Amino acid sequence: MAERVFITGLGMITAIGDNVADNLRSLRAQKSGLDFTRQLDTIYKAVLPVAEVKHTTPALSEMAGVAGKEGYTRTALLGLIAMQEALQHAGLDSLEDESTGFINASTVGGMCDTENVYFDIADPEKTGDFVKYIDTLDCADCTQQIAEVVGINGPMTTISTACSSSANALMYGARLIKAGLVRRVICGGTEALTRFTLNGFNSLKNIDKRPCRPFDNDRNGLNLGEGAAYLVLESESLVKERNATVLAVLDGYANTNEAFHPTAPSPDGDGAYAAMKTAMEMGGCTPADIQYVNVHGTATLSNDVAEGMALQRLFGENVPKFSSTKPFTGHALAAAGGIEAIYAVLAISHQIIFPNLHFKDKMQELNITPETQLLEQYPVRHVLSNSFGFGGNNASLLISKYEG
Amino acid sequence: MKGKCYIQGMAAITPQHTFEGDLSQPLVVTHGNMLSCVEPDYRSFIAPNSLRRMTRVLKMGLAASLKCLQDSGIAVPGAIVTGTGKGSLQDTERFIKEIRDYEEKALNPTPFIQSTYNAVNGLIALQQKCTQYNNTFVHRGFSFEHALLDSMLLLHEGTPDVLAGAFDEITPEHFFIKGRIGHWKKEVISNDALYEHVSPGTISGEGAIFFLLAPTATAQSYAQIGGLEMLYKPSPGKLKTALPQFLQKNGLQVTDIDLVLTGANADSNHAHYYEVLNDLTHCPQLPFKHLSGDYETAGAFALWLAGQMLKQQQIPSQWFPMLQQPPARLRNVLIYNHFFGEQHTFMLVQAV
Repeated sequence: MAERVFITGLGMITAIGDNVADNLRSLRAQKSGLDFTRQLDTIYKAVLPVAEVKHTTPALSEMAGVAGKEGYTRTALLGLIAMQEALQHAGLDSLEDESTGFINASTVGGMCDTENVYFDIADPEKTGDFVKYIDTLDCADCTQQIAEVVGINGPMTTISTACSSSANALMYGARLIKAGLVRRVICGGTEALTRFTLNGFNSLKNIDKRPCRPFDNDRNGLNLGEGAAYLVLESESLVKERNATVLAVLDGYANTNEAFHPTAPSPDGDGAYAAMKTAMEMGGCTPADIQYVNVHGTATLSNDVAEGMALQRLFGENVPKFSSTKPFTGHALAAAGGIEAIYAVLAISHQIIFPNLHFKDKMQELNITPETQLLEQYPVRHVLSNSFGFGGNNASLLISKYEG
Repeated sequence: MKGKCYIQGMAAITPQHTFEGDLSQPLVVTHGNMLSCVEPDYRSFIAPNSLRRMTRVLKMGLAASLKCLQDSGIAVPGAIVTGTGKGSLQDTERFIKEIRDYEEKALNPTPFIQSTYNAVNGLIALQQKCTQYNNTFVHRGFSFEHALLDSMLLLHEGTPDVLAGAFDEITPEHFFIKGRIGHWKKEVISNDALYEHVSPGTISGEGAIFFLLAPTATAQSYAQIGGLEMLYKPSPGKLKTALPQFLQKNGLQVTDIDLVLTGANADSNHAHYYEVLNDLTHCPQLPFKHLSGDYETAGAFALWLAGQMLKQQQIPSQWFPMLQQPPARLRNVLIYNHFFGEQHTFMLVQAV
């Protein structure tokens, strides 16, 4: 019988807070992190809102405790800050006593720094300091930088499935534990804003010039965000052995593919439906057991129709409370699944449901509307957290209250 | 984790003539330190209108995966899991340039979409209507190996079969960039003379290689993947104890190994790790990177070689002129590879 997988530590940094407590405070204050960029060199500086972490890269290296050391990209620094909080939260001063894995997620690795020096790097006529960024071109660099600072000594890898990357990292980590290969894995993702991704989504006409409005009839696209989020996953036996506090249980998960279109979901949300249903069933839940769905809710025209249709199909007349927290954090791509998994844990541990900001009018295609109020003392036991990505990649996590 | 994993189908696009699975093909010799794939005619796998839009590694990845499915006789696998170190380099390079050249205006989104690391996975799923599990690992020398571990977990969890693969390409621009941090030899050589040039750096390569994996053996099985171990930047001591432990965990002693395929690549900066194989003098040790070049997912090529050799019970001597004495039997093949000293992997591949 496979062991249950418990969540025992959380760490994050986003546009609405440098740690989990600050994130919760901003969520409660209904304070969006969307603004114009101060870090990114782009012609869209004052045109496209983004949810940027409010620190310069040198300030982040101070916060991460590596000030003055070279070779850390913004991606790695964001990740390192979140990782250190997660370990501290789980009460882990050192990882030496237990083989501890790290499953990270990234969409473009160190692009945030390399895109500024790429043409120097590729130019045989140019020499200089920029050569140190060559090793940060890929997605593995940030993972290894973070791992080496905190002393990861178990399985380590990086997943990249676009916007669902860190949900898949959590799933893979949980499966490594269930298979008995390791008893502790830290999973999540890190993402820094880049000109590359901003222009990518903008070229797809997927970015709203206004603050994004998920599930609103007048929505017109997403806003990008940045940040990092990690969750410490531990096996039931390890938790008992070291008498750790359990924050929540990762009870179910699913990864399905739509096989419909390289970047667009099917109009009926087949992939979203299958992912949510499978995750729910794996955790032994029926639709009536779910109190809250933290939707992918990017506010693109097609995502919200597909995801909304999937919710209606799965839950029928009784769709539970649902909201997108992307108006707070922006769409932090590879970090989004980790950020929202932490919000799911917070929803359970604080019995709270977060509002879907900027919603006004019901979508024509749907019968349902998201929760727009902050609900306190709401009995939350089971949360579904959705992350859907390019390549038809759909991931859903079922996070449940720990009840012994 | 208990449970078996058999290779039921394979296909490889590499710098050698590997696509038809014919081990009698001559060695392709390339002068220059960048090996490029011998690409098949894609038109028998991909519709012309799709082909026009796709960049090179997407074509290589999709064609290799489809050929692998053909070889296995399975159209829709239970999952698709891949590893890639670099994804579609051509698309990444193109999009970076277009952002600059067009000053961020009126950009064509296609290179952005195709630069996404899981683009090949999405294409395979789309083409084969595979709506199940789909994942992509992007961690240098652990990219393919974690795809393999994920696949083994899936089989263990009850997935009937998994399409697992790896793809990476090299471009002249990226070859230059990685050369700046010492990846490649300064002297220009031919791949058939690689091992005569022990010096800093190696030669670069690329490939798209897929496997159909299943939990039960049949007459068509190529081989069994008996064990897999990954070590990140191990100390020499750790590496030395890890190898016998790995064999022991799989019920074998050093003397049970009939052949070693090694990632040795004549790079004097990282050659010392291969001393861990010094205890395996009783059997031939064959390096393979003169055939494939070095790249993040070259381990997949070694697995393909092992699978072919075990099924056909032969070692292609024209590809391995260094082989003095073929092994008396070919049951257990050990693969040891590392990527520039960082990610080290052991794989045990066994005859069925």
